Amino acid sequence: MIVIFAGIAIAAPAFGNPLKQNLITGLSPTGLPLGISGAHPLGTDLLGRSELARLAFGIRTSMIVAIVSNVTSIAVGAAVGLAAGFFRGPVEAILMRVTDVGLALPYTLAALVIAGLMTAGLTRVIVIITALFWAYPARLVYGEVLRLRHRGFVESAEAMGVRGVTIARRHLAPHVFPLLVTYSPLNAASAVVFEATLSYLGAGINPPTASLGNMISDGQTAISYAPHLLLVPAVAILLITMSFLLIGEGLKARNPDLKRVSWLGR
Amino acid sequence: MARTMIRRFAFGAIAVLGVAALAFLLEFVVPGDPARAIAPRAQSAAVLENIRIQLHLNRPLVVQFVDYFGELFRGNLGVSYVQRQSVTSLILPRLATTGWLALAGVIAEVIIGGTLGILSTLYSRVRAVVAAVNLVFLSLPQFVVGLLLLLVFGFRLHMAPVTGGAGLAEIVLPALTLGLVGAPWYAQIVADQMADSLASPYVRTAVAKGLPDRYILWRHVLRNVLSPAITMIGMDLGAYLSGVVTVEVVFGWPGIGLLAVDSLQNLDRPVVMGTVIVGAVAVVFFNLVADVLRMYVDPRTREDPA
Repeated sequence: MIVIFAGIAIAAPAFGNPLKQNLITGLSPTGLPLGISGAHPLGTDLLGRSELARLAFGIRTSMIVAIVSNVTSIAVGAAVGLAAGFFRGPVEAILMRVTDVGLALPYTLAALVIAGLMTAGLTRVIVIITALFWAYPARLVYGEVLRLRHRGFVESAEAMGVRGVTIARRHLAPHVFPLLVTYSPLNAASAVVFEATLSYLGAGINPPTASLGNMISDGQTAISYAPHLLLVPAVAILLITMSFLLIGEGLKARNPDLKRVSWLGR
Repeated sequence: MARTMIRRFAFGAIAVLGVAALAFLLEFVVPGDPARAIAPRAQSAAVLENIRIQLHLNRPLVVQFVDYFGELFRGNLGVSYVQRQSVTSLILPRLATTGWLALAGVIAEVIIGGTLGILSTLYSRVRAVVAAVNLVFLSLPQFVVGLLLLLVFGFRLHMAPVTGGAGLAEIVLPALTLGLVGAPWYAQIVADQMADSLASPYVRTAVAKGLPDRYILWRHVLRNVLSPAITMIGMDLGAYLSGVVTVEVVFGWPGIGLLAVDSLQNLDRPVVMGTVIVGAVAVVFFNLVADVLRMYVDPRTREDPA
């Protein structure tokens, strides 16, 4: 399913122009959005734009956010977790207290504050998600490193006088990696949901660029007479997130050692 | 036990102060001039300058920072730029409104999640169905669930009001939204814990003693669910009190989340700061309460983990 969505994301331009407004042919004589028809497979939105084309570009946005912010947030989290778990002492104390703050932040409010700093667009979404999503993987990695810290191979490397950075990279990182791989689909799913939420609140990607979140926000104004404008992007979000979660479940099932990874809080 | 509590409390306080400091600094890098926001049509620069002097906005950042924290320790969150009221008097009624919704939401998710969890453990035939339902609600953002409920029950079936407000009729859909989105977590916890304890020696003993199934279920099995569920409820109450922003926006529920969104748009710094701090306090406080309660119901957690 992810492959299909990735395909749609890459081939998005093939589904038509998401910005072209057909105010004459795209709207009913009374100016209402059209339903499903041959010319417009998923109907048109309030400005007579093709809903299918917008959907394809919205999916593209979601997939980009899922992949990029997934990598960035996990990378930051892993770096913090490794450093805190390995160096202990004051570094550990400071990093983990900062992580606590990161976990105690009211997500949506903090996101809105950060959103005020930047101009709308993909970068803003990715920065916000990274800024809020790194803390949980940091905790995961930190816990794992603490567990590994006093295992024989780490201590012997230390006794041999191997430099700290090398130990972290050569001996600890490979053990932490599978944990992060298992966590990443869940993280990606949360990122998709959060992007939609941000764009819905006007704090993410703003119109006219299509995003599933702002499409729903548009659709909301037509809730009483054109519910498909709400339902189509909603189903898309559902399917994307669901396929990420299923991948995550599959990975967890294959590696019973990783059962401890739980769903990310909201 | 007392030592654990004190440690937790200290960490909590540090986290709240951290959030406050972070929020303060972020607020100051947000572009936009609050003086402009207060007097949008002011023509002369002198007027704007006067406003800045009144609000001490002309002083160096460090001085403002120290001032703010000094007042904060005395429980004073400042005065709203826009509404000319103390922030506390703006937030408190909103906090109560959000509190009702948070409470109703938690009750809804405990009932829905608990039922799903118990059903899927006891009846293998419904397990797949419950898993599918869980997956769907895990995959949907809160605002989407909210809008779908609004579409079906509000606009199609005319069973619920669609105009917003904070009455008894208006609370049903937002609470149900929180309940549905939160339920999978509870179902998961309940199912996991039940599976663990059903496989345990003490349940085997109880069955061997010939105790009735119902008794075993309530007395031996479900008691084990209590401890993680309490942790979860504490986390949720805190998180919801810090503003169920999207749900409040969707349903027009006049709570603290809606206040925060409005003040953010108005560049009303003291109010934004206030909501963020109150939110962080709520998160930390309810986690703490949950810890205490859990120690009470589950003796195993009384020891200091460190």
